[in-house]
Amino acid sequence: MQLLINPSDELPIYRQIMRQITEAIAGGRLKSGDKLASHRELSEQLVIAPLTVKKAYDELETLGYISPQRGRGTFVSAQLPELDRADQTGQIQQSARRLLTQAYLAGLSLGDVVKLLNEADRELTGIEALTPVELPAKPKETK
Amino acid sequence: MTPILEFQNISRSFKKGVPVLNGVTFSMTEGEVLGLLGRNGAGKTTLIRIAMGMLFPHAGRVRVFGLSPTDEPVAVKKRIGYVAEDQVLPVGSSIAELIALHRYLFPSWDQTLGRQLLDRFGLSASSKIRHLSKGQARQAALVCAVCHRPELLILDEPAGGLDPAARREFLETSIQLLNREGTAILFSSHHMTDVERLGGRIVLLDDCKVRLDRRLDQIHEDHCVAMIPRSRMPDSAAIESLPGCLRARPVFDDWHAVFEGTTDTVRRRLHEALGLDGIRCVSVPLEELFVELVGHGRLVEAS
Repeated sequence: MQLLINPSDELPIYRQIMRQITEAIAGGRLKSGDKLASHRELSEQLVIAPLTVKKAYDELETLGYISPQRGRGTFVSAQLPELDRADQTGQIQQSARRLLTQAYLAGLSLGDVVKLLNEADRELTGIEALTPVELPAKPKETK
Repeated sequence: MTPILEFQNISRSFKKGVPVLNGVTFSMTEGEVLGLLGRNGAGKTTLIRIAMGMLFPHAGRVRVFGLSPTDEPVAVKKRIGYVAEDQVLPVGSSIAELIALHRYLFPSWDQTLGRQLLDRFGLSASSKIRHLSKGQARQAALVCAVCHRPELLILDEPAGGLDPAARREFLETSIQLLNREGTAILFSSHHMTDVERLGGRIVLLDDCKVRLDRRLDQIHEDHCVAMIPRSRMPDSAAIESLPGCLRARPVFDDWHAVFEGTTDTVRRRLHEALGLDGIRCVSVPLEELFVELVGHGRLVEAS
């Protein structure tokens, strides 16, 4: 898996790594049991301090996404953390409302937002959808 | 753990009564990476030269591996690798001769590492120093600084004047040393992306003193800039007296105030202490934070 970092981003580099790995797990590009690059490999590949990689991996381990196996390397956890569905749905509902508020204030339609969501989905899962979902022409009707 | 490098209350001036450093104190432990930041003339090079025993401090104490670099220069320098800002290499000799000299000076010289690095940099042992480009000369200096496997590598603006590709190669080598040898690195730099890549800890020199001494991720996650309209707060003193405020400077119609704390806590603090609401607080990249902390205020000229 190829990671990309941007050192001039306001998000610290270790968080950029964490985000990309959790995204890959969420999108199914990384599966339970997949091996991750070692601290040293990733540090030299991305040209960043080994401690930065260690920090990202340590945090992901605390969250339960990856687990180191002595002498063998670091792997995506066999048992990924299960988020409480009901609890998360509530939060996602709020995020959705915030997202739409921002979009409508910026003059975007619901269709535009769905298009962006589809794009994000393709990035997360790494699969180019062959037939993009056709969007309702008048988003107002769907509300 | 005993610090490998220790500055205690270091003061130094070059002109009487005009200090460059005034009471600088910090230390580094084994394997630590520390980025020394500050404006031009903030005293970074002076401090580095004091650590190298090339300058005496006028007050205070410096210890490298627990030793005084001026009293025991050989014992200290054996364990340090150093690339100066304007590294002068003997122009008439070849790279091979330069390396032979260093091998003679440093019994622990690692020839394999030397050859590897020359290969990586595409340097030929037979080339004369005077025919090298600026970047190549810096790379040759780095080879000489690291092949005796120092415990502490001191790089004074390693990237100064190098093109982006040469800078990256220099950085790659430093990262590999960190990985393979666990070398501690003290470096000064104006390239914030390089600072981000090397990570570790930041010491910011300003006004002859240490202005900020924090871990880099702490700086990212626990600092923000509040933009407070000057119409609502005519005087910066009230802002600067708030807990966690590191500095406020005027930028046109606003005060830009650097705070320690997340955007939410700072907004709350401004509300509770000064009754200010709806203030924009943003977390900013390192380069912006640097400018906010040591840059001059910017005022609109009176019209």
